[in-house]
Amino acid sequence: MATVNIQNIQKNYGAVKVIHGIDIDISDGEFVALVGPSGCGKSTLLRMIAGLEEVSGGEIRIGPREVSHIPARDRDIAMVFQNYALYPHMTVEENMGFALKLKKADVAEIKSKVGRAAAILGLEKLLDRYPKQLSGGQRQRVAMGRAIVRDPAVFLFDEPLSNLDAKLRVQMRGEIKTMHQRIGTTTIYVTHDQVEAMTMADKIVVLHDGHIEQIGAPLDLYDRPANIFVAGFIGSPAMNFIDGRIEEGAFRTSKGLILPLPQTLPSIPGGRDLVYGIRPEHIRASTQGIEGRAILVEGTGSELFVRLDAKGEDIACLFRERLDIGFGDTVFAEIDPTKAHLFDKQTGRRI
Amino acid sequence: MASVSIDNPMTDAEQIGSKPPRLVPNYWPFVLPALLVVSAVIVFPWLFTLWMSLNSWTLGQPRTFIGFANYVRLVQDMRFWESLWHTTTYTALSVVLPLFFGTLAALVFDAKFPFRGFLRGVFVMPMMATPVAVALVWTMMFHPQLGVLNYLLSLVGIGPQEWIYNQSAVIPSLVIVETWQWTPLVMLIVLGGLAAVPREPYESAEIDGANAWQKFRYLTMPMIAPFLMIAVIIRSIDAIKSFDIIYAMTQGGPGTASETINIYLYNTAFAYYDIGYGSAMAVVFFLIIIALSFVLLMVRQRANWSDMEDR
Repeated sequence: MATVNIQNIQKNYGAVKVIHGIDIDISDGEFVALVGPSGCGKSTLLRMIAGLEEVSGGEIRIGPREVSHIPARDRDIAMVFQNYALYPHMTVEENMGFALKLKKADVAEIKSKVGRAAAILGLEKLLDRYPKQLSGGQRQRVAMGRAIVRDPAVFLFDEPLSNLDAKLRVQMRGEIKTMHQRIGTTTIYVTHDQVEAMTMADKIVVLHDGHIEQIGAPLDLYDRPANIFVAGFIGSPAMNFIDGRIEEGAFRTSKGLILPLPQTLPSIPGGRDLVYGIRPEHIRASTQGIEGRAILVEGTGSELFVRLDAKGEDIACLFRERLDIGFGDTVFAEIDPTKAHLFDKQTGRRI
Repeated sequence: MASVSIDNPMTDAEQIGSKPPRLVPNYWPFVLPALLVVSAVIVFPWLFTLWMSLNSWTLGQPRTFIGFANYVRLVQDMRFWESLWHTTTYTALSVVLPLFFGTLAALVFDAKFPFRGFLRGVFVMPMMATPVAVALVWTMMFHPQLGVLNYLLSLVGIGPQEWIYNQSAVIPSLVIVETWQWTPLVMLIVLGGLAAVPREPYESAEIDGANAWQKFRYLTMPMIAPFLMIAVIIRSIDAIKSFDIIYAMTQGGPGTASETINIYLYNTAFAYYDIGYGSAMAVVFFLIIIALSFVLLMVRQRANWSDMEDR
């Protein structure tokens, strides 16, 4: 186990800069998720930590060691790839024991370590199979087993669940989390799925265009997003954003919709362009509040997702109760003002 | 699921009771043309060869049925055993050397470097040449007095060699020609194999701690093994029935030092016109090739990781 310190890490491909000087400190045993949309540089950053990608500037420390220019095989890390990257001509057992075989560990030791990892992951009965004979979930488990057997300082996961179906993804998500709690190895996990990041990580790093937007605990990011990007990225369904200004002590849109303001607000100069943010789940169906016409109604049984057209503004609401709402019905939606956020339209920062 | 099997007992019983429709005779018109061609060009010649091998038949003399006498003669014929040994060494060397150099060349041409495409083209040229032309060129190069090979050896201080004119050097010399001509084929096959090898395992091997040699030994080699096996099969069958290069360069000589079964068979049947004995040789040679192909196909199955689920 080890800490990981990333200081001013940069990556250029020729003249194109994809990572612009990133700093992240990861404590021993922590589970950190790197999350962001496609092309934000999260996989590149992980591959630089792994040693599969050259570092253009800055330094990476694993424990006390500066590793940014030493080969991957000497970094004491294990990595699980999106496409599993199993050795197709080796059995599950050989796949899992390969790293130890390279280290010239003796056969009995390899067998016992592989056996232990297989027991953790429920792979005991598949040890003689070849990767082609396994399902996606089983292959994923073998890839994890290969990582566990090595007992590395750091686990790296590169979108490991993207190739699995939705149900299996939820199951494997739980298994990875359980494995981390059991083994306690420092883990860096790349995903574009914010739900994965929210449910698994101790700390989330939100990346966008090669910059860090925010680092924090999952609920911190949810409750106190630093800016519009994080507010929109974290949480599903996404937060509503409504443009407007504060006039006469209330938030007004250009079309005349009035929204309630949070009580604790610093003084904001009037006439400044703002963005009002409210999550769909913080809007209640009521007999008062904003009046709107339902333009989309989707029920899942446990919740009801409704999009309202309120004076030309599109507002998404997520109701926990069962309501008899049909397309075109008039709905009154009450916003919880303590959960509302205001953002500066120009800088995107939260006020 | 259960309802399906319970639902249809009646229909099942009815189907069993009724006679299946007789469609078989209707296929014959479609199969017949192919059957005629195959019979004429494959089955008939083989049956005829088999029949002739049971006869004593020298051209110009009457044919007499002699049973297995030709085969008994074959077993006692030292020249046949000698030619079998020549065939074995010639084939083994003509498989191993092109395989070694072809794999090496494929690894080189798999890497990226300037003019790679052009150099690949140059490298595969020997394969395109006619064997008899190749034989003529190499015969000149092997010439003890006038050949360029002895000249080249003299440059590094090695005395002149007799090459194909020496009993013990003739087979290795012929193998050099065979290797020169067929290394490119192996290179092409292995290059295809290298292109089909997935790249991702190399990254995990890098992280698992493999150095360049270990990646080659534990990943590249096993993953291209099925392609190497294909090259071995093609080369083995080509080499064992090699005729043109040997005939054009040495006619089996000096003496009988490079006489393979093929050459001996040809001489027997078409130089001495002993068709019966030659046919017996052809039958035995055919069985040897069948056995070799069978062994190679079995080995190929074992080497094939890409369809391991079929095992």
